[in-house]
Amino acid sequence: MISWWKGAALALVAAAGLAAPRPAFATDIELFFPVPVDGALARNMSGLIKEFNDSHPDIKATPVFTGSYDDTLLKTRASIKAGKPPAAVIMSANFLTDLAIEREIVPMDDLIGKDGKTQDAFTGQFFPALLPNAVIDRKVYGVPFHNSTPLLYINADHFKEAGLDPEKPPRTWAELTDAARKLTKREGDRTTRWGLMMPSNYDYGGWILEALTMSNGGRYYNEEYGGEVYYDTPTMLGALTFWSDLVHKAKVHPAGEQKGPAVTGAFLAGQASMMIISTGSLTFIRDTAKFPFRVAFVPMNVRQAVPIGGASLVQPAGLSAEKRAAGWTLIQWLTSPEKSGWWSRATGYFAPNKAAYDLPEMKTFLEKNPDAKIAVDQLANAKPWFATYRTVPVRKAIEDELQSVLAGKRQPKEALAAAQKAADALMRPYVEDTALRLPGAE
Amino acid sequence: MLLPLALLSPSLVFLALFTYWPVVEVLWDATHAATRRGTRFVGLDNFAALFADPTFQRALLNNALYALGTVVPSLVLALAFALALNGAGRMRALMRAVFFLPVMIPLVAAAALFLFLFLPGIGLIDHHLARLGFAGANWLGDPDLALAAITVLTVWKNAGYYMLFVLAGLQAIPDEAREAALLDGAGPWQRLRHVTLPALRPTFAFVGVIALLNAVTQVDHVFVLTKGGPSDATKLLLFYIYEQAAERYDAGRAAAATVVTLALLAALTALSLSRSQGPETAR
Repeated sequence: MISWWKGAALALVAAAGLAAPRPAFATDIELFFPVPVDGALARNMSGLIKEFNDSHPDIKATPVFTGSYDDTLLKTRASIKAGKPPAAVIMSANFLTDLAIEREIVPMDDLIGKDGKTQDAFTGQFFPALLPNAVIDRKVYGVPFHNSTPLLYINADHFKEAGLDPEKPPRTWAELTDAARKLTKREGDRTTRWGLMMPSNYDYGGWILEALTMSNGGRYYNEEYGGEVYYDTPTMLGALTFWSDLVHKAKVHPAGEQKGPAVTGAFLAGQASMMIISTGSLTFIRDTAKFPFRVAFVPMNVRQAVPIGGASLVQPAGLSAEKRAAGWTLIQWLTSPEKSGWWSRATGYFAPNKAAYDLPEMKTFLEKNPDAKIAVDQLANAKPWFATYRTVPVRKAIEDELQSVLAGKRQPKEALAAAQKAADALMRPYVEDTALRLPGAE
Repeated sequence: MLLPLALLSPSLVFLALFTYWPVVEVLWDATHAATRRGTRFVGLDNFAALFADPTFQRALLNNALYALGTVVPSLVLALAFALALNGAGRMRALMRAVFFLPVMIPLVAAAALFLFLFLPGIGLIDHHLARLGFAGANWLGDPDLALAAITVLTVWKNAGYYMLFVLAGLQAIPDEAREAALLDGAGPWQRLRHVTLPALRPTFAFVGVIALLNAVTQVDHVFVLTKGGPSDATKLLLFYIYEQAAERYDAGRAAAATVVTLALLAALTALSLSRSQGPETAR
């Protein structure tokens, strides 16, 4: 008598099983996908996933659009906490360190090993500058998918009009300032055309400042350790002062925070003659600009160097073995030379897989679009992107100060000291747990 | 006695589950710290750290300015619209719809719209200013202007909504009061001052509380327009809480800030509602 309900329960379960016939072995997975820059990325991604599903009948992948890189991080964390993580996420490359420290993503070495590859053979496929943002503590936490660097975009018509040669864009900070002065136009007090614009909103400002700091010979953070940033340093002071002087002394760059869309908008409207912005916008600018434009390396002061940007594919912790395997299949497919090459041509990002550039489609494309080649060439000078414990607030600490300096509210030197202090406070728990936790002290 | 309780129980269950239990949890979180080695009781440490945080002080000040800047102008506008449209002949329904239109646009869409209006140099606002010969401004990128810009959006968005309540209040004023005032020889200004406004007082107390709550609980437009920047200039309380919880992973600090916000709101609401009792008993 006692077991009547057990029988009923079993019958119910069996009925539920019969009532929901599933295609044999199909695994439903989700891919979290950010829309970080301009253009028709979302539409392209839907097409790509459809192609994947058609060629993999045993897996059904669904792209889930998650907004900016920062929003994608939040949504991924929320889904992990809720116990329903997606099988793969296209994650901003500099968040991997923080996620690995918090054990929210898992290393992929076991899956790489199962495919019969060594770690070196696997990572050797990618441009070396990308690896410090993907391999953490000697484990592979991410597979680079699309990457970027900042680029200098110039309006060729404005250059000619100002007596400059558009085939010789500025290569140094001195040449950049000089060109910006010649390109800026004023009517009385009002500036009708800016020589140069650079974005300084959250997420973008820190990246551009990092590019300037690197061009000034500096480092931004400790590439080996997630608890150190170098905000209060001479190289960064030089970079921030340079940006500040463009605004407040030369008056060739507008004051206050500039958002990314405002910068591309002003460039496209002919109200800014030069801009430094991501390669990820290249396809959008190429398709939209109604005037001839050129792209060039970010001008240097001490050396030619830029940070990489863009995203890698990661797998959250807490996935079933079945979903992990399906997610891994998707990740392998998306990062293959053919697919990442196609994605690169659609968006303007680089394909991180070096073999993508050996394919005939890519060679033809680069011959037709030499501007895309500049971006790839610059990758030889690229360095890893700043990544720490609590990356987002640590980055906002310097971005808040950058915005104050650009608005004329603070001097660069005091701004950097304040940013360093705020960043150190944010990273202290991790530093105390690792670098300052000495054996025999307790 | 049992029947009413039984009828109320579904709502009570939901209230307990989704309102009171979270409050208990927030209080628990606010007195604990999650370290990398587990959770421990810290008493009021989170509150001490909260009040010592200059960003929180800034958020409090910002929210106070924002509340003042949105509540007063939108109530004044609501009254002006309502008075203008209370009579307003044949075009009445159409005109009311015109003033009510901003309310119907979702907040996030309205914010996205203003993002383009406010674009420095090429936005609609700067475009027209330039035609009149004025220099534009970096409305959302200048720490001195950003909060004011967001305030303007909020007033534009909410005034029509509050107008509805004021209109209802106006129509509830008995005609006898107006006629009596007319017989006594009161002019339009005297009638507004001594009849209409006193009669609207309970309405304003109610709308004032709603507007005040909105000033603290609406932050969608901050997400779209500024993300709390530049340099913390538009950081409101709710955005601060979100940052602490979601970006800094500091549940304790976020919970403490939530408790402070809740206490503030409860106190302000109690104060406004108790003051509104006055005229009704006097009437």
